[in-house]
Parts: sequence; structure tokens; C-alpha cells
Amino acid sequence: MSEQMPDFSNVQSGSSSTATKIYEVKPGDSLSKIAQAEYGNGNEWNRIFEANKDILKDPNKIYPGQKLKIPPK
Amino acid sequence: MKRMHVFAVLAIVITGIAGCSKEEPPPPPPAPKAEAPAPAPAPAAPAEVSVLNINLGKAIGPDKKVTTPTETFAKSDTIYAVIETQGAGNATLKAKWTYHKGDQTAVVDENTQTISATGPATTEFHISKPDGWPAGEYQVEVTLNDKPAGMKKFSVN
Repeated sequence: MSEQMPDFSNVQSGSSSTATKIYEVKPGDSLSKIAQAEYGNGNEWNRIFEANKDILKDPNKIYPGQKLKIPPK
Repeated sequence: MKRMHVFAVLAIVITGIAGCSKEEPPPPPPAPKAEAPAPAPAPAAPAEVSVLNINLGKAIGPDKKVTTPTETFAKSDTIYAVIETQGAGNATLKAKWTYHKGDQTAVVDENTQTISATGPATTEFHISKPDGWPAGEYQVEVTLNDKPAGMKKFSVN
């Protein structure tokens, strides 16, 4: 009979890098939401916008599947 | 008169033959071919991203490197796995954390991060558990572009 394994459903995780991260936009994302998740501050959305001006013309228009460069903190 | 006519015809024929046998001047030597310049050696392609080492610890510094390395953690610790890479290009790193008890294994967490490296880089993955880690044996397996890149075992006391 197997022993019961602990519950790990409430584990919190994260990651960061000194390299530029590549983030794939998900439905419901906005630059400020991504900035909040990546930098802990939604007001830093402009850093992401500036790093992706080659593919973004309007900071309010991002689409699921787009791959955005996230500069390191 | 008839003899003169014959001589005239012979003269024309001989002249014609002489003209035909006259050697033509040798054709001019072919112009030297312009040699294509030797192709410049292609610049060395930057090496693909590869994992140099994996370190575990309880804390990291601003450079993402472990400041307090250990492989034994307390129940309340945040556990960091720091992966140092070299090379350039896009690469996907994945950390799979597992708990081991006897023959059984439970997945604790899986996290993936894609980076665009231009040289040596340090990438960290971390996990925490608000109600504390169960004591026991754990490990973290790291893959780079879905290929095994290393593994570290650790324990929680």
C-alpha cells in the first residue's frame, strides 16, 4: 500500500534572469499586467514597450502568441 | 595566245593555293580570367546556449547568483536553483521540482523560462510553500531546450 504524498498545490514559484526574457502573451494580458508580474510594478510597462517597438506600435494592442522581450530588472 | 591563257590560269591557281596555305596569325592569347577573390572566412557563429552549472541556495544577490549555497533547507525556506549558462541565442530553460518518498515521486512544481542570451547569463528559479515544506528528499531537474542539462538533490529537515 502506498503512502499518502504531501500536498504541493499551494507551492509558489517564479524565475528571473540576467538575460532578456522572452514572454509569450496570453489572453487577457496587458503590458502593465506583464510589468506587474515581471517587475512587481505595473507602471514599468513602458520598459517592455520600449524593448519591443519593433513589433509593437501601440502599447494598448498586444495579442496572444506575441513573443515580447522582457528586459532584465 | 592559247599558251598565255594557260599560264594565266596556272598563275591564278598557284596564287590561290599559296593564299590558302598562308598561315593565319595565331589567335591572341586568351585574356587572363579575373580570379574571383577568395571568399572571406565566415564569422564564427556564436556558440549555442549551454548550461555551465547549477547551484542551490536560500538566497540570491542582484546578479542572481546564490549568496547562501546549501543543499539542506529549513521548512520555511525559499529554495533557489540558479543556472549559469554560456553562449548566445534563444534558449528555453525548465526546472522540474520533485519530492521523493520511498519509491514514490510527487511533482512539486514546474517552471519554464525562455531567454534571449547574448553571452554568459544567470537564470534563477525559486519555490516556496506558505505552510512549510514537508521534510524529506527532493530534487530539481533542469532541461535546456527539452534536453537534460543537470540535476541537483536536496533535502528539507
